[in-house]
Amino acid sequence: MVNITINGTSYEVPEGYTVLKAATEKGIHIPTLCDHPELTPYGGCRLCLVEVDGFRTPQPSCTLPVSNNMVIRTDTPAIHESRKFVLSLIFSERNHFCPYCQVSGGDCELQNSAYDEGMTYWPIQPNWKNYPVDASHPYIILEHNRCILCRRCVRACGELVGNFTLGVEERGANSILMADLGVPLGESTCVSCGTCVQVCPTGALIDRWSAYRGREEESKSQKTICTACSVGCGIEVFTRNNNIVKIYGDWDSAINKGVICEKGRFLPMVEKRERVLTPIVKIDGKPKAATWQNALEAVAAKWSKGEVAALVSDRLPAETLSLVSGLVGPDKVSVIESAGDATRGLKKPFEGKLADLKKSDCVVVVGTNLAEDHEVAGFFVKRLVPNGTSVILIDPDSNPLDQVADVVLKPAKGGEAALLQVLADGKATEVAAKAAELLAKASNPVFIYGKSASELTIKAAVEAAQKFHGMVLGTRGGANSLLTAFLGMEKEAQLDKAKAVLVVLADDEPSQKLIHQLEKVPFKAVLAAYHSQLSALADVVLPVAMWAEESGTFISMDGHVQQAVASINPPEEVKSSKEAVQEIASRLGIKVNGESWKDLLKSKAVVTEIVEA
Amino acid sequence: MAKPKISSDWMGGCAGCHMSFLDMDERIIKLVELADLRSTPITDLKVPDESGVDVGILEGSVMNTANEEVVHRMRERCKILVALGDCAVFGGVPAMRNFFTIEETLRRGYVETESTDENGKVPDDPELCKQTRVRAVHEVVPVELHVPGCPPDPNVIFYVLSELAQGRMPELKGDKINWH
Amino acid sequence: MVAQKITIEPVTRIEGHAKVTVHLKPDGKVEHAYLHVNEFRGFEKFCEGRMVFEMPYITPRICGICPVSHHLASAKAGDDLLSCPPPRPAVMLRDLMHMGQVIQSHGMHFFELAGPDLLLGFDADPAIRNVVGLIQTAPDLTVKAVRLRKFGQEIIKTLGGRKIHPDFAVPGGVNKALTVKERDEILSLIDENIATAQVGIKIMKDWAAEHIEDINKFAVLESGYLGLVTPNNGLELSDGIIRLKDSQGQELERFEGRNYLDYIAEHVEPWSYLKFPYYKKFGFPGGVYRVGPLGRLNNADIIETPLAAEEMKYWKSLNNGKPVGNTLYYHLARMIEALFALERVRILCEDPDILSTDIINTRQYNKGEGVGVIEAPRGTLFHHYWANANGQLERVNLIVSTGHNNWAMSTAVDSVAKTYIDGPVTEGMLNRVEAAIRAHDPCLSCSTHAVGQMPIEIEVLDAEGKLVNTVKRRL
Repeated sequence: MVNITINGTSYEVPEGYTVLKAATEKGIHIPTLCDHPELTPYGGCRLCLVEVDGFRTPQPSCTLPVSNNMVIRTDTPAIHESRKFVLSLIFSERNHFCPYCQVSGGDCELQNSAYDEGMTYWPIQPNWKNYPVDASHPYIILEHNRCILCRRCVRACGELVGNFTLGVEERGANSILMADLGVPLGESTCVSCGTCVQVCPTGALIDRWSAYRGREEESKSQKTICTACSVGCGIEVFTRNNNIVKIYGDWDSAINKGVICEKGRFLPMVEKRERVLTPIVKIDGKPKAATWQNALEAVAAKWSKGEVAALVSDRLPAETLSLVSGLVGPDKVSVIESAGDATRGLKKPFEGKLADLKKSDCVVVVGTNLAEDHEVAGFFVKRLVPNGTSVILIDPDSNPLDQVADVVLKPAKGGEAALLQVLADGKATEVAAKAAELLAKASNPVFIYGKSASELTIKAAVEAAQKFHGMVLGTRGGANSLLTAFLGMEKEAQLDKAKAVLVVLADDEPSQKLIHQLEKVPFKAVLAAYHSQLSALADVVLPVAMWAEESGTFISMDGHVQQAVASINPPEEVKSSKEAVQEIASRLGIKVNGESWKDLLKSKAVVTEIVEA
Repeated sequence: MAKPKISSDWMGGCAGCHMSFLDMDERIIKLVELADLRSTPITDLKVPDESGVDVGILEGSVMNTANEEVVHRMRERCKILVALGDCAVFGGVPAMRNFFTIEETLRRGYVETESTDENGKVPDDPELCKQTRVRAVHEVVPVELHVPGCPPDPNVIFYVLSELAQGRMPELKGDKINWH
Repeated sequence: MVAQKITIEPVTRIEGHAKVTVHLKPDGKVEHAYLHVNEFRGFEKFCEGRMVFEMPYITPRICGICPVSHHLASAKAGDDLLSCPPPRPAVMLRDLMHMGQVIQSHGMHFFELAGPDLLLGFDADPAIRNVVGLIQTAPDLTVKAVRLRKFGQEIIKTLGGRKIHPDFAVPGGVNKALTVKERDEILSLIDENIATAQVGIKIMKDWAAEHIEDINKFAVLESGYLGLVTPNNGLELSDGIIRLKDSQGQELERFEGRNYLDYIAEHVEPWSYLKFPYYKKFGFPGGVYRVGPLGRLNNADIIETPLAAEEMKYWKSLNNGKPVGNTLYYHLARMIEALFALERVRILCEDPDILSTDIINTRQYNKGEGVGVIEAPRGTLFHHYWANANGQLERVNLIVSTGHNNWAMSTAVDSVAKTYIDGPVTEGMLNRVEAAIRAHDPCLSCSTHAVGQMPIEIEVLDAEGKLVNTVKRRL
């Protein structure tokens, strides 16, 4: 600990802190632009200048380490003048037009800084060089005229996402943000996670789908979790008049600390499917709008106990899954297109947590394409590379990690288990030998496996992890796939003898495979949010909520129990999936319990330690 | 003591700042009790008194030779010059014209636009002013008070004018500053 | 003998600047008067490179009196270009904001700008012939007028967050829904403001009866008439189809706004920065037409709201069913439109869909080209954008409302100068020349309302055009 004085008051702060961090913790405000709590300090904007005794000039507090007996002043007239001057220089560097900018009027940190310093005009004229607008990207617009070269986006793209698409080329007044080696953003290696948009302090990086939909002060914000996949990222959904205007990563969520991917941030904004707005019942082969009463009657008419199967999305809340299980019986429920639970055979807990990746010095990825299925987990892996962590990829198919991994192993399909054994046994040759060497040197290796990993592969991974004193991490599938595994729903559906099938699709998109699978079942009742080929084939369609409209419990891939909280209300006739299943049960006189999943968890041996929120 | 004289004029803007001034609604009655509104686009006179006014208000950027006359005349004839609105303070939206040459802008407007007939050419009668680079007022003459906004809020305009009318220099800070 | 040129500068709007030169013959009669519009900014060039969805936020800065017209026309061009028609509640909400603007703009113009001429007289003492004078001579009326403008502005602020340059429309819809409380607040103020509009109509009718000679000699022009109409040829200000009638009232054309280039072209004169739109088939100047209140009431056959419908019947009776060409009747048409807009506000607010949150259609498909058309208070407004595949504008073409009336204003100025200027030039005569412009409400007639003490510079030129003498009137 060291003793410092800020504005006349003494404080004790840990050694290694920067002046900015110390001041912020003590509640003393120092304005910043290029600084961000989740990024390494840069010291580029100079707005955080403070007076320090013994220093000839004001110092940037974001990069200045505290030292014992340091005397600091943050609020003198000279400091205010220097802030105004810094801001004038920043404004004059490019061309800022506040009247029509999308973030103007509250969401621009640059503008707000100017207001805080009481600036009513800028004394130095703008650049007047016409910088380009790069609109090549489907979501992100890059308006160079508003860029202040703070490099937050560059740092975020590298440090938080591990993608390193953004950089700055040229020097001095010619410095300009670029993607890759100078290509339009839409043609670059950008993965559309949008973290750059979220950290940009001005309107230089904006998302075209949220533009002009509402400023933060005009919108309601709801913290919840993303239910696209099993990572369980914390998100903040901004809404206005029951419409989603933008989705941000939640910086306060321990799992992802603000980082999300395209699936969570942008895909919901470009939803093109049509909503199912009323129940639909097929009468004489023609679908007709119906009341909930009539639709439930139609379902009840074809319900014969013991002969009804249920298919569920693995993105439904725990409560809905429990209700369906109670409705048809646990042995009759399958996850849509389930390939079975490959961890069934392995009883004891053997999986670690995503957070273990932070300490890892060697990561082995097998049986999964992280970029496709669990993108943020992929970011967590990629961003370790600059710090010296080695990555070993085992994938017969092409995989975006091919470009990033230190060692890329392409065994024949089905050969992953044998390969892992070879690595563990120390009998590796050629390329595999390099991987074995890296594993041997590692102190905290992590083995990540996913959907394509067979039971043998997982077993081999567990053994290898034991051999190398490492952790195993399973990514599984959708948002509640860990729970569906525990509930025994990860098994192939047995539909040959089913007289009726209840498909709780919610807002998933049905595949051709699913549609084919259901062809022979005489009666199909589908709970869906959107119209699809499946809803067109169904005998009864019940309209249910999409992800943002339903609250419920989800367990992430590594066992975190989290609550999804609805941020908008569904249209009038649309019910939550919980409610819809409950209504069916009531109509059939079947007792169901939405909390039954809790008991199941207590009684079962699980592969991952469950952590309550 | 005679009421302070206030005069206003506009240049390369959209008149929104003067409209925002009118949005002080009934308070305009209070204002004319405190100050003598001389030439403004909403009263009767067209140029500030040759004998001088106390407060001169200018809306709009300086973007042609006619504007240059207006700005110099107002500066000469007033003691306190107020730049009202983003166009006067910063150059504003019309300043986007500076990214292009005046010649290409005129050509687009009078020759190339799809609705202009085949006889289009750039107007050049001596009665008309000539276009110049778009400038904020303070790039041409010194300014005592900047009131940014596009347009500034009517409450801010009322505050500024009533302070000036009572012989005080208004202080713009906090909520009163708005560049949007 | 020497000829004289009277210059009235600054005279008028288009964001402030125009001047009139009146060229006198040696015998003192007017040879010709010109309206020089002295303002040019270049939006059609400097918007190149901006995004389609930014345009509803850039183009309102063309005009601070009718920013809503540009805001909505621009959003409509975006709807067209991105193939994302807004849902019904959004169309209604945009219409509601537009009615707010029509009410505020027409109300202000009639009472506060044209009003002093009508209520106090063209020749009244210049010192009081303005809005401040009205406050003193007709305080109750002035308060009503201020409240009428405020009602319109408050509707705009309720929906768009601010009264000028609102934040509301995007391609595909709008960004805010109307709450029950807000709707009820608007409904509660309609009757009071309808009464004010009716007072205005009566004032104009009475004035016309008392000044019938002026009505019939002050710039009575023949021209075509253009505007949007409903399928039943009713007055329409927000959506609808464009109709063009000739000076006798015969329908010449009926077309979708999107196809305007097939029918309308613009003529350039070297002495004005404002172009002259005209009907291509008849060429220039044969194809000139008027827009705005008088143009629209001549162009439409009926009005589909009850109280305004009665006034429309009165309007049609003024010239036995044929179009009314008397420039001064613009003022009557303006207040009838304000009445219509107020009735439309009630109809919109009483429809349950006005409260819906289904206000945006985000399914977009970039067609590359889009046109948005709306009836601004001053006339038909066209926004035409061409964008690349990324949604960045490559070309912009705008025909801004007042422009269509350019020929009419120039001709009116010339006509009134010739009618009223004879012998020694008086202040009242020059005021009438300004009134000719003012009647068209060209975007800010405040500046033409330089009653009385305007700087007049008379240049006396000899027969060869050399300057012989300059007479200036001191302020």
